[in-house]
Amino acid sequence: MDFSHLLETLPGRYVTQAFIHSMVAAAIVEIAMKNWKVGSPSLRQKFLLAVIVLPIFSFPAYQSANPARGSVYFRMGALFDSARWLGLEIYGVVPVVAGLILIFSLTALVFFFQELFPIVRHAFAARKSDFGGATVRAGDDPAIVSAIAKLPGEKPRVLVLEDEDCIIFSTTGKKAAVYVSSGLIEFLSEDQLRAALAHEFAHVARSRRPVLVTVFLLRALMFFNPIALLVFRRSVQEDEKICDELAVSATGEPRVLAETLRKLYLDPEVQDDGGRGQGPNAVGKMEDYSHRLNIESRISRLENEGAESSDGGIFGLALALLAIVAVNYFVV
Amino acid sequence: MGKTFLRIFTFAAAVGILAGGLKLINWVPLAAQKNLLRNYTDIQMVKSELGIREVVVPSYFPQSLSWPPSAILAQKNPYPAVVMEFWQMGTRDTVLVISQALSDDFRADDKIRITQLKERVNHPLKGRDSVLEVGFCGKGETCSRVSWKEGTLRIDVMAKSSPVEMLKVAESMLN
Repeated sequence: MDFSHLLETLPGRYVTQAFIHSMVAAAIVEIAMKNWKVGSPSLRQKFLLAVIVLPIFSFPAYQSANPARGSVYFRMGALFDSARWLGLEIYGVVPVVAGLILIFSLTALVFFFQELFPIVRHAFAARKSDFGGATVRAGDDPAIVSAIAKLPGEKPRVLVLEDEDCIIFSTTGKKAAVYVSSGLIEFLSEDQLRAALAHEFAHVARSRRPVLVTVFLLRALMFFNPIALLVFRRSVQEDEKICDELAVSATGEPRVLAETLRKLYLDPEVQDDGGRGQGPNAVGKMEDYSHRLNIESRISRLENEGAESSDGGIFGLALALLAIVAVNYFVV
Repeated sequence: MGKTFLRIFTFAAAVGILAGGLKLINWVPLAAQKNLLRNYTDIQMVKSELGIREVVVPSYFPQSLSWPPSAILAQKNPYPAVVMEFWQMGTRDTVLVISQALSDDFRADDKIRITQLKERVNHPLKGRDSVLEVGFCGKGETCSRVSWKEGTLRIDVMAKSSPVEMLKVAESMLN
């Protein structure tokens, strides 16, 4: 099979350049975030989303601005010409282009099985109220009623899953709801339950923002792009921190949310009771390690509230966007 | 204010280093492999170094042009391609470009690009089906281009001239 021609076609060039543009954008964004010491999760998320969104449009935009950008003369003077690397053959046998196609294919598989498929499955489960056989009832427990009474603003439905494990999650869409297990209601104090519910309410409220829905759809267009995959996961972690901030603004108690996170995700007893800490393989262990790091980072932020600074971060974002657009123009 | 300037400066310097790094990474394949797109001084060198046996060359040139080409670009990977560029005698103005490649996606129309197309017709070229385009280039000069397939090879002849002279060059490339 002749791989070289596959990525030389127009769709192939789009895919290749989107991937390399993401790499360059990720590097520039990292430089900018460090340079401007960006700590605010919502601003960090904007930086990260630039890495995902800009490369979607960069190739068609550059080609429209300068149709000669694909010609050999432009390529000879470019900062980086992907065709040179794609033309390489390791030991004169293995074409580099085959390795790249393999990476794109694996990334697409990871996207479908780890991101898209769980969302679809989750949506169907929520629609059918099928949660692995657990009974679902209305959240009219005194503990829940009391916990959410003090929370301001519009609140989605709260439903209780009859399950002794500590579970809390939210579903989005028209019938958005927050699901809490009976085990969790017993395990947490009223303040902690309020903090946990406020965090989930924040997720539901944010999921209704058309901008975020659009961003997710755009991200899906980059299903083949490993950089978009990694950066989107980082962006999701920032989203958790944004929801922490919203929860704290609703409850006024950052330390309670920190305690709740510690109790739910770092307590060895809870983890042994069927939590996440049982990944038997290396990938599972890495995911658990990454998850733990993220939880610890969230707890640290909540406990040191106000310690981070990001003066001039928006200016940094604007400069980063300009730099990405300018450098990527010369990356073909 | 000083802090802002310092941040802008460090950011610009870091982006500059990144651009330099990209340029360096871009050079690595050229150092590692000979058969990627690069400049050559004559067609014989292209044939011997890249092992490209068939390079179609014209036997007719307008008075202001002459053999050998002023510049040659060629590659073997990812597919064989050769670009011959001819400058107007006594100047460095590119007036004729001949490109031949084993892929329809290969493009060498940067230096002679029809920005305002006046006419695009199918034109029989010594028994081959070719496409003839006539129009104006960026500076308002008359430009023309003819493209056809010679077996699996795609050939493009582009000139900053009327189609009459350009077609004579193209026909002289064919038996």
